[in-house]
Amino acid sequence: MLAPNSREEFSMSRSSPKLKLGATVLGLMIAGAASGAEHPDFTGVWGNYRAPGAAAPQRGAAQAPLPLRAEAKAKVDAYRALVDPRGDTPGGFCLGTGMPGSMLGSGGYPMEIVQHKDLILVVYEAHAEIRRIYLGEPANPADLFPDRNGYSIGRWEGEKLIVETTHLKEAVDQGRYPHSDQAKVVEEYTLAVNADGTKVLTSNMTMTDPAFYTQTITAEKKWQLQPGVRLLPYECNEPLWDEHLERLRQGQDEPG
Amino acid sequence: MIRLLATGLALIAAPCVALAHHSAIRFDLTIRDNMVSGIVKEFVPANPHTKIVLEITDDKGTRDVEFEGHSRNNYYRAGWRDGMVKVGDKITLQSAPTRDGSDGGYALGVIAADGTRF
Repeated sequence: MLAPNSREEFSMSRSSPKLKLGATVLGLMIAGAASGAEHPDFTGVWGNYRAPGAAAPQRGAAQAPLPLRAEAKAKVDAYRALVDPRGDTPGGFCLGTGMPGSMLGSGGYPMEIVQHKDLILVVYEAHAEIRRIYLGEPANPADLFPDRNGYSIGRWEGEKLIVETTHLKEAVDQGRYPHSDQAKVVEEYTLAVNADGTKVLTSNMTMTDPAFYTQTITAEKKWQLQPGVRLLPYECNEPLWDEHLERLRQGQDEPG
Repeated sequence: MIRLLATGLALIAAPCVALAHHSAIRFDLTIRDNMVSGIVKEFVPANPHTKIVLEITDDKGTRDVEFEGHSRNNYYRAGWRDGMVKVGDKITLQSAPTRDGSDGGYALGVIAADGTRF
């Protein structure tokens, strides 16, 4: 699970998706021409963005109810009834969050982007989750299978990167936005520079999931470049392996 | 090896899936300044949470008390480095207590034997 000082910044709107740039971020797009690059370069390590002078986000703050369909709400409520009394989370069991939580929740633990022409790798430090955004030839749908982070294809629209994610597994265990396997997540990434020179990356996310929701879900996430920061390894199951070995040494494990 | 033995012996009977379970719901995180000192019996920096066992002596007597702490990665970014906390060190934890008042807590911060804080 994320540590208590981890945070995410997002908002939900029931209106149709629209781009929102933070008030503190100047609308100064980084033109590819400035660096001679064809597209903006998102390469680097990114952490949560906090506007100058802004208070730290409150963890556990009240959240607006989600526009879930009755059947979906029943599924989510059943899951919550199961885990909430114990405080169980996928992360507590060393399981990655999956989309969209992996993206929205990143930043407390940093996120690294490695950008190539036909492939963008997004690595979330927490649980070492990796998303591959394919900008080249898309895969044959018959070759794909559902996954917690789905399958992502990207394209450039000017200086904006559009990422569409499908093939998600049903995930009632998402911290904020549970979804069905019909969910489609579209992210629009833009890069801007604050007056103080801070590079700010924004993702405006839209999730459509008619099986779970009566309305479209939108959220915004911002990160700021963190020069000099490196991602750390995030092994999580090492103690479990150590303990298994110890049980074997004690001759007390079940037959293989 | 000490870590292996201690954790292995303590958890031999536990089902496999339970071993990786971590949850902060046991702790009252609204109280964040409970200072507890003791002798380190185990310090296992890990993700998602660090395990700390201290030998504590107070008016309840002397016993080993287990604490859960931030992830290894978060402690690293807060200044912890390998070898900074060793078995036998006397350290102090800034902790959130358990909700039911039992021994233990969530280690929000650590003061190492040499005074380093993370």
